[in-house]
Amino acid sequence: MNLNNLSIIIGREYTTRVKKKSFLILTFVVPVLFAALCIVPSVIMAVSKEESKRVAVIDESGIVLPFLESNEVVTYADYSDYDTDSVKSTLDELGMDALLHVSRLDTVARSLTVDSYSKKPLGIELVASIEDKVNDAVEDYRITSYGIENLDRIMDEVKSNVSMTTYTLDESGKESVSSSEVYMVISMLLGMIIYMFIAMFSGTVMSSVIEEKSSRVVEVLVSSVKATELLFGKIIGVALVALTQFLMWIVLTLVIVSVAGGLIGFDKITESASMTDPAAMMSSMGVDPETVGNMGMNMDLTALTAAADSTAAVSPMAAVMNTLASLNYVQIVVAFIIFFIFGYLLYASLFAAIGSAVENEADTQQLQIPVTIPLLIGFFIAFYSFKAPDSGLVFWGSMVPFTSPIVMLARIPYGVPVWQLIVSIILLIATFAACAWVSAKIYRVGILMFGKKSTFKDLWKWIRQD
Amino acid sequence: MGIIECKSICKSFGPKIALDSVSVDIPKGKIFGLLGPNGAGKTTLIRIINRITIPNSGEVIFDGRPITQRDVEKIGYLPEERGLYRKMEVGAQAMYFAQLKGMSQRDAQRELKIWFERFGIQDWWKKKVEELSKGMAQKVQFITTVVHKPQLMILDEPFSGFDPVNAELIRQEILRLKAEGSTIILSTHNMESVEELCDNIALINKSKLVITGGVNDIRHKYGNNNIELVYTGENALTADASLFDILSDDNNAGRHTAVLSLAEGVTTNDTLAAVLSQNITVNSFKELVPRMNDIFIKLVTESE
Repeated sequence: MNLNNLSIIIGREYTTRVKKKSFLILTFVVPVLFAALCIVPSVIMAVSKEESKRVAVIDESGIVLPFLESNEVVTYADYSDYDTDSVKSTLDELGMDALLHVSRLDTVARSLTVDSYSKKPLGIELVASIEDKVNDAVEDYRITSYGIENLDRIMDEVKSNVSMTTYTLDESGKESVSSSEVYMVISMLLGMIIYMFIAMFSGTVMSSVIEEKSSRVVEVLVSSVKATELLFGKIIGVALVALTQFLMWIVLTLVIVSVAGGLIGFDKITESASMTDPAAMMSSMGVDPETVGNMGMNMDLTALTAAADSTAAVSPMAAVMNTLASLNYVQIVVAFIIFFIFGYLLYASLFAAIGSAVENEADTQQLQIPVTIPLLIGFFIAFYSFKAPDSGLVFWGSMVPFTSPIVMLARIPYGVPVWQLIVSIILLIATFAACAWVSAKIYRVGILMFGKKSTFKDLWKWIRQD
Repeated sequence: MGIIECKSICKSFGPKIALDSVSVDIPKGKIFGLLGPNGAGKTTLIRIINRITIPNSGEVIFDGRPITQRDVEKIGYLPEERGLYRKMEVGAQAMYFAQLKGMSQRDAQRELKIWFERFGIQDWWKKKVEELSKGMAQKVQFITTVVHKPQLMILDEPFSGFDPVNAELIRQEILRLKAEGSTIILSTHNMESVEELCDNIALINKSKLVITGGVNDIRHKYGNNNIELVYTGENALTADASLFDILSDDNNAGRHTAVLSLAEGVTTNDTLAAVLSQNITVNSFKELVPRMNDIFIKLVTESE
């Protein structure tokens, strides 16, 4: 290989892409989004208080109303003497947001039913708070009905409110409070980002190969440089673009977060955030707590909420902060760069070979399948890895070269033994070398083949051709 | 000694034979026509000379020694299917190609400036290729082919896509480059330009070399040794069995156009002297050489 030619090719691939508007936009917009993701949820929680609701209450049981205490979020008004239907139809005139109808007490089941009517749906938190209060009222009624003296006090004493604080032990046996959601979020983010990066930039290489072929520039190029120089110049040039973008993202995100943090005041953010319950925080981050629960997280949201209320337990925000602080960022960044580089090289060389066999993007679909499928499998295993970070599937997914870049990154926050990292990287590099060799053979022949649609049989023929 | 000597080049793609033991010698400082019908193997031969394709057997000698990858810097190649990066600026693109041919940034800049001025296209430097017309892009492409002063230029159908004015401009540039000592391989189907520009040719058909040699030699070889004579006179020209035979003689109000067939070994001078001795006025005396076009058709159909 002629290094001078290689560097000229890398230079062109790099500069033309870095100067593109789409690159600049992506480079500057994404950090803003990242920073927003870091800051906005806490800011929202700090500043947004729902507008106070006014609720008309028709209490036929007579036991619930005393429990409904008005506060800054909701005001209850007693409409028990009014007719349900007339209140329902005149909510606006009465200046009420909702009507709460409590049924007569069923003395056999010792229970009652509650319905609410409103123009706009009530917020989850308000509904939960009303339900809590109604339940309190019914419980109180039942306790009283036993006629046992001091039963209410006994019940209060019996009530237990234990929540688990999870500690992770490091090598030295030092324990730290951890939040498993943080591991999950980081693991998902890493898996997604590396998948996106590999898919996006390998795709760029493929389009660029197709562009050179369909515009026929390629024939002039290979009359000046060797096909392999052109291929690897292109792959390396695009890789540098990707790394530039990645590093810019890190730097810009840090800058924006620290500047914004300085402006708003970080203490205030963390303080307010630590008082809010994790369910609300997750939902404001766009994660539906219920889905998280369904995903099999060993996480009891109510327990955590309770923990937030009780001063004795560690606050969840502190656990989040603690977990974030305990992560080995150097390892994450280094692993990301290594796995991205070799995962990208592996896929980019395969995509380049596909690109060389076709004349326009539309023809790539069939040839792409065997390359896209392992990439997608890697993505799905990575998604599974926060569920069972130590399962066999995830382990092998992080070892098999075609899925390892994505799955290993998703595993990293949970801690991966060094020997596994090394074996995985060696396997990946070896596979890349083999695939690059095959791809170069396909590429060399493919870029000069015009007119007929290539099939896998053709590719096989090109590999064997000298 | 030729700048390029192809020695028994064989190349096959799977079962398909593209070149079957083709040997051609391309003399230095001349224009060499590479002729042949579509699919004959011309492009494969050009790609082998360019080291884009490696032959199965045989070798290419460049300037007296086996060609190496470094030698491609001394070759300029204008492929039949032209192509430039559509989204790239003309100047940056020309710089890129020049640097890939081993020019330093400074040299490339200087030489390109000269060429852009010569073609009157200085203000295209910052334009993107997609903004140019096809003919304009062709001019840029021609410059990128020749800017590094290659010893050998391979031009595949260089005139296609040009209007007559620009085709003439390119023709003049080719002649100028030849005068400066460059060797040019011209692959074309335009037989008039072959006659006009080429010193030597090679004709390839069905992956085999049919004929190679000087254009004049070939034309004479395939000529029938005929002369076209235009004369005026009272009497018609009479044949002289030892010198020439009259194949036809059209009389148009005393102005005759005759075709003479010379006997074996008779020179045109002897014939002219014999004609002058007859009582006629000679208006023109012209050797009838077959057109390259006719030779091409004849050879290709014969070898079918």
